[in-house]
Amino acid sequence: MSNSTMTPPAGVVTTGASPAGSAPAGGRPGRRRRGERNRPLWMLLPGGILMLLIIVVPLVVAVLMSTLDLDQYTLQSWLQAPFIGLGNYVEAITASPLLRSIGISVSFAVIAAVVTMPIGLAAALATQNRFRGRALVRSLFLIPYVLPAFVVGTLWRTMLQPGGVVDSMLGAVGIHSGLWLNGPLSYWSLIIVQIWTSWPFFYLLVLAGLQSVDHEVHEAAAIDGATWWIKLRYVVLPYLRGPILLALIIAFLHNINAFTLPFVLFGVPAPQDVEVLPVVTYMTSFQSFRFGLSAAMAICSLILIAIPLFVYLRAVKLDSGEEEQR
Amino acid sequence: MRSRFALAAVAGIAAAGLVLTGCSGTSGGTSTASSGKIDGTGKTLDVMIAANSLYPTQQQQWFKDVSAQFQKETGATVKFETFASANDELTKIQTSVLSGQGPDIYDLGTTFTPTAYSTGAFVKLSDADWAKVGGRDRFVPATLGISGPDKSNEVGIPFLSRPFVLAYNKDLLKAAGIDKPADTWDGLAEQAKKLTSGDVHGMAVAYADSFDPWKFVWAMAMQQGNTILDVKSKKATIDDAAVKKAYETYFGWLTDDKVVDPAAIGWKNAQAVAAFASGKAAFLPMVSSSSQVSLDKSPVAGKYAYAVMPTVPPGATKLPSDGKAAATIISGDNMVVAKYSKNQDLAFALVKMLTSTDNQVKYTKTFGDLPTNADAAKQIEQGNDLIAPILEAGTKAYGTPFTGAWGDTQLALVNVVVQSIPGLSAGKVSSSDLEAKLKAAQETAQNSLNKAK
Repeated sequence: MSNSTMTPPAGVVTTGASPAGSAPAGGRPGRRRRGERNRPLWMLLPGGILMLLIIVVPLVVAVLMSTLDLDQYTLQSWLQAPFIGLGNYVEAITASPLLRSIGISVSFAVIAAVVTMPIGLAAALATQNRFRGRALVRSLFLIPYVLPAFVVGTLWRTMLQPGGVVDSMLGAVGIHSGLWLNGPLSYWSLIIVQIWTSWPFFYLLVLAGLQSVDHEVHEAAAIDGATWWIKLRYVVLPYLRGPILLALIIAFLHNINAFTLPFVLFGVPAPQDVEVLPVVTYMTSFQSFRFGLSAAMAICSLILIAIPLFVYLRAVKLDSGEEEQR
Repeated sequence: MRSRFALAAVAGIAAAGLVLTGCSGTSGGTSTASSGKIDGTGKTLDVMIAANSLYPTQQQQWFKDVSAQFQKETGATVKFETFASANDELTKIQTSVLSGQGPDIYDLGTTFTPTAYSTGAFVKLSDADWAKVGGRDRFVPATLGISGPDKSNEVGIPFLSRPFVLAYNKDLLKAAGIDKPADTWDGLAEQAKKLTSGDVHGMAVAYADSFDPWKFVWAMAMQQGNTILDVKSKKATIDDAAVKKAYETYFGWLTDDKVVDPAAIGWKNAQAVAAFASGKAAFLPMVSSSSQVSLDKSPVAGKYAYAVMPTVPPGATKLPSDGKAAATIISGDNMVVAKYSKNQDLAFALVKMLTSTDNQVKYTKTFGDLPTNADAAKQIEQGNDLIAPILEAGTKAYGTPFTGAWGDTQLALVNVVVQSIPGLSAGKVSSSDLEAKLKAAQETAQNSLNKAK
């Protein structure tokens, strides 16, 4: 950033210094203050205004909406909708499926994220070394990830429906699993399909992480006679800690925000075992027309998402200003 | 620090600006009251209508034809916008209602009309307004049943009718010695039992559909005298023996009578139609005239006919005195004119043109949806045996309760079925289980009704 953050050689300080800078003790702070003053901060304005319009204004409107009794009857002049303070939040927590759906969403998101980790890792390791057809395998791996969620949903819905492909395949080996798209199993169907469609994301991030492992390290491990497990455990994995943690958090956020997949897979009204947070919020807004209540739900889920997001920001050190200190 | 204040100030101004825009937007919308012949030269009317997935090219042609005809009559052109789903439409209505600008005319599904009405964004038709669309009496009376809460507060002008009927496989019935479908639900179930053998089932029912289930339950409850919602006394009546009986009958086809393919617990409407189309089901209740398109291309082409669904409730041999012989919901499309429209008279002139006898007959011949214009309906009926029962069902149609709470109620009724699917799959939905679910639905509907204005 600006030169005040660096530790310039003494010569530079004197040459660049104004009369004030010649004071030996107060020189640095003085420079910093002036340096800040000279920063062309106004140049941040276009970006700032965009951020304001895209993030801050909708957020403020959402918070405002969540305090109003806003529904189909008051929509036309929504600012005149009755102000009910935290009423929507109280209703969301006490008289709506919100808490249950938070439980479902969080557990689903965690399970799906954790399970995709070893799959993605194994796939990345398997395709790291050159072999014939590696490019093809790598592209095939990406197919589930690049398919649009509604295609994945439709595909699996067809396969999982009663008397569908999955039932007849399992039936052929003597397993009669019961319903996949409703009842207790539907929760696991959602997890399975989400894993199927999202593991390549892990694979991609781990693959990128693997590129950062120095070639010399591999060679050194080989010379030391390390077995593949030792090499993986003590040489490669420490390099991948960052990417894996990052992938875990992003995958969790993706999963918790997944709307299209459960919506297409189970339809609405959703079976109670798969009433995930985004679907409940959607239903409240666009089927029951309780816009205020759904805004309160959305704020609740925003807070929920903000927690791992905060962890994520700490993890990648975007918010700590550490870069500046370096 | 100072710059942060500056940013905050900009934020405040921008937010205030947006909010103020929102305010001023809603106050727009004046009517251009004029008398005599409408001159719309140079103007363009904006119409929002559902995309027709069955006849996309014909619909595009229809748009052009309508615009050309309207230009000839008034000098104004018509621009059509289409929406793919009810949600698309709702989003559009929301933005238009908030901003006070958007389409002049919306084509709405009938069951969505109460919700649209409750936003207060559409013109309530005065006698003069009705005159502008050619008079209230040009329409089939039953189609007006869901235009508004009462005669003096109507917003919807019936544009097309899509009543629900029962399709049946003539060959299968003949083979079983049945000459026509029964007019009681019990009789129909008995016939269905006779018609079930091997992989052919008596009935095709879409238990996993998002809409079908509530239409069955509503009809059977109506026939027992239960309107699901009593709008006047603001009471929901789902937690009631009549509604329970309706669900038991609907579930019983699968669990007790065993006249439905067990896979039907995963079926949407299209899959039930497909089962009937492949000759695997004798009865296909709850279909509209648009099913003709797929049935005429299927193995049952020429072998099927339509009939009015039973109007005698389950467990009865004749309609109870307080029962209503509801054969179908009033189904189809209504047109509404936006309050904010600056071309309201022109909009009424367009609706008048679209609901004229000639145009309605032409529309039916192209798209299969039935006319709401009484003369047109008569013309279509003549010499058309296939369509006649559907038109008859249309005259026996009842509107769903006219309240903004209906959307929620409808959803709650379907939710009872959705949450009962595991029970259905296991072969039985217990009485106590059903009662608990009805209680939950009752609560949802009552809460929604309490909020209704």
